[in-house]
Amino acid sequence: MKWTRFSATAAVYLVLLLGALFTLGPFLLSILTAFKTREQFAQQSALTWPDPFTLENFALLLNGPAQFGRAILITVLAAVLILVGQLICSILAAYAFARVDFPGRQVLFWVYLSTLMIPPVVLVVPLYLMMTEVGLRNSFWSLVLPFAFASPYAIFLLREYFRGIPQELIDAARLDGANTLDVLVEIVVPLSRPIIATLTLITIVSHWNSFMWPLVVTTGTEWRVVTVATASLQSQFNGNWTLVMAATTLALVPLLVLFLMFQRSFVRSITIAGSA
Amino acid sequence: MRSRGSLRRRSAITGYALLAPSLFGVVCFLLLPVLVVLWLSFQSWDLIGPISFVGLDNYRSVLSDGVFGNSLVVTLIFVLLVVPIQTLIGLGAATLLTRGLPGSAWFRTVYVLPWICAPLALGVVWKWILAPTDGALNTLLGHRVEWLSDPALALPAVAAVVIWTNVGYVTLFFMAGLLNIPGQILEAARIDGAGAVKVFWHIKLPLLRPTMFFVLVTTVISAFQVFDQVYALTQGGPARSTDVVAARIYYEAFDAFDLGRAAVMAVVLLVILVVITLAQQLYFRRRVTYEMD
Repeated sequence: MKWTRFSATAAVYLVLLLGALFTLGPFLLSILTAFKTREQFAQQSALTWPDPFTLENFALLLNGPAQFGRAILITVLAAVLILVGQLICSILAAYAFARVDFPGRQVLFWVYLSTLMIPPVVLVVPLYLMMTEVGLRNSFWSLVLPFAFASPYAIFLLREYFRGIPQELIDAARLDGANTLDVLVEIVVPLSRPIIATLTLITIVSHWNSFMWPLVVTTGTEWRVVTVATASLQSQFNGNWTLVMAATTLALVPLLVLFLMFQRSFVRSITIAGSA
Repeated sequence: MRSRGSLRRRSAITGYALLAPSLFGVVCFLLLPVLVVLWLSFQSWDLIGPISFVGLDNYRSVLSDGVFGNSLVVTLIFVLLVVPIQTLIGLGAATLLTRGLPGSAWFRTVYVLPWICAPLALGVVWKWILAPTDGALNTLLGHRVEWLSDPALALPAVAAVVIWTNVGYVTLFFMAGLLNIPGQILEAARIDGAGAVKVFWHIKLPLLRPTMFFVLVTTVISAFQVFDQVYALTQGGPARSTDVVAARIYYEAFDAFDLGRAAVMAVVLLVILVVITLAQQLYFRRRVTYEMD
C-alpha cells in the first residue's frame, strides 16, 4: 500500500517534470542559441552550451541596421503612455459608474460592456483607414492613441472594486470639504492598489506583446516595436538563427523577469482577467 | 441647503465629466471603427486610390471565390484541434497540481510562462525548432520532417505551438475550479468507498462545469482570432493550409491591397464571434454580475 502510494507520487512528479521541461525547452534553446557564434551553431547540436560565449549577436542587433535598441525604447514608451492614459481614464469612468448618480448611467455601462465583444482583429482595417485619414499612419501616436483613452475591461474591474469601498469613508471626506477629485486621489486610489497593480501588469504585458496593429500601422524602422522588429529580422535573415534568437530573447526575457518578480500578482491577474 | 434638483444636476455634470475621456475613447476607437468597417465593406479601396461605392460586390466576391471559405474551414479545424486538446491537458495538469504535493506552485508558474510571453516571439522560436534542416527538433530526431512546409502537417504543427502556449492558462482556471470544490464532499465520497477515478468522473467533473464552460468559451473566441503564431510560422501557407481568418484579413488588406474584401471578412468574423459571445451570455446567465443595483 505504502509502496504503490510512493510510486504514484513518483509518477506524478515525472509527468510534471516532463511538462516543465517541454514548457521551458524553447525558452532555453532561444537563450542558449542567442549567445552562440554562427560557427558553433552550424557545427554542433542545438543542446550544447555556448562555447565561446559571445555577445556579438546582441551587439549586432542593438547597433546594426535592425535598430533594436530604438525598438525597445519605442515599445516601452508606448506601453507606459498607454498605461497612464488607460489608468486615468478608466479610474475616472469606473468611479462615475460605481458611485455617481447620473442619467443614462445604466445604458452607457451596457454600451461599454458590449464593446468587450468586439474582436481586436476586426478593428485593424478600419483603424488603419482612420489613422490614414487623420495623417497619423506610421507615427508614434498611431501606436498609442487607439488604446490610451479607455479600456472597458479595466473600467469593469475597477468599478467592481470601487463598489466595495465603504461609502462612509467617502461621506466623511465630503463633510471635510473634499471634492470628487480629492476623494479619488486621497481615498479611492490608495484603497484600490491591488487592482491597479493587476491592471498595470495586464496592460504592460499585452502592449509589450502586441503585434498585429503595430505591424499594420508602421512601416520601416522608425516606429517599429520589438515584436515587429523580431518578425522582420526573421524574414530578412532567415537562416541566421543565432541573430534571430538574440531578438526573440530580447523580446521574451523582460517579461520573464517581470513575471518572476511579480509572480503572485500575475497569477491572480490572469484569473481575474479571465473571470471578468 | 441646496435644492434636490440642483444636487441632481451637479451629480449629472460630475458623472459626465468623469466619463468624458473614456467615452471619447470608446466612441472613437471601438464604436466608430465598427461602423467604418461596415461602411468599408461596401466600398472599393486599394490603400492609394480613391474610395468608391461598389454595393454588394465585395460580399459577392468574398462569398463566392472559395478563398474565404477555405479560411473559415481552416479556422474551424484549428479551433477543433486546439480547444479540446489544450482543455484535456490543462485539466490533467490541474488535477496533478491540486494533490497538495510540494512544488506544485513552482510547476504552475512554469506552465504559465508561455502564456504571458509575446506569441510572435515564441512563434519565431518554434519556427527555428521546427525548421527542416537546422531545426532543433529534426536534429534531435535525426531525420528530416517538413513540419511547416508539408500541407498535411502545417496546421497541426501551428495548433501544437498554440496549445503549448495556452496550456498554462487553462491549467490555472481548472486549478482554481478544483480548489473550490468543498473538501467535505470529496471526503464523503471517499468514505462511501469511491475510488479516485470515480470521484473525478462523478464529483469533480460535474462540479467543474462552470469552469469548463468558461474555459471553452474564452479559448474558442481567442482561437478564432489566432494571428501572431501563424504569421511567424507559416504566413498562411503552404497552399493556404494554415490560412486562418485573421491572417486572411491581414493579407487581403495589406498584401493584396483589397480593403473592401478585408472589411467583408472582418464583418463576418465580428458576427460569428458576437453570436458565440451572446449564446454564452444566454446560457450562462448565472455568472453575469453586470446588473446595476
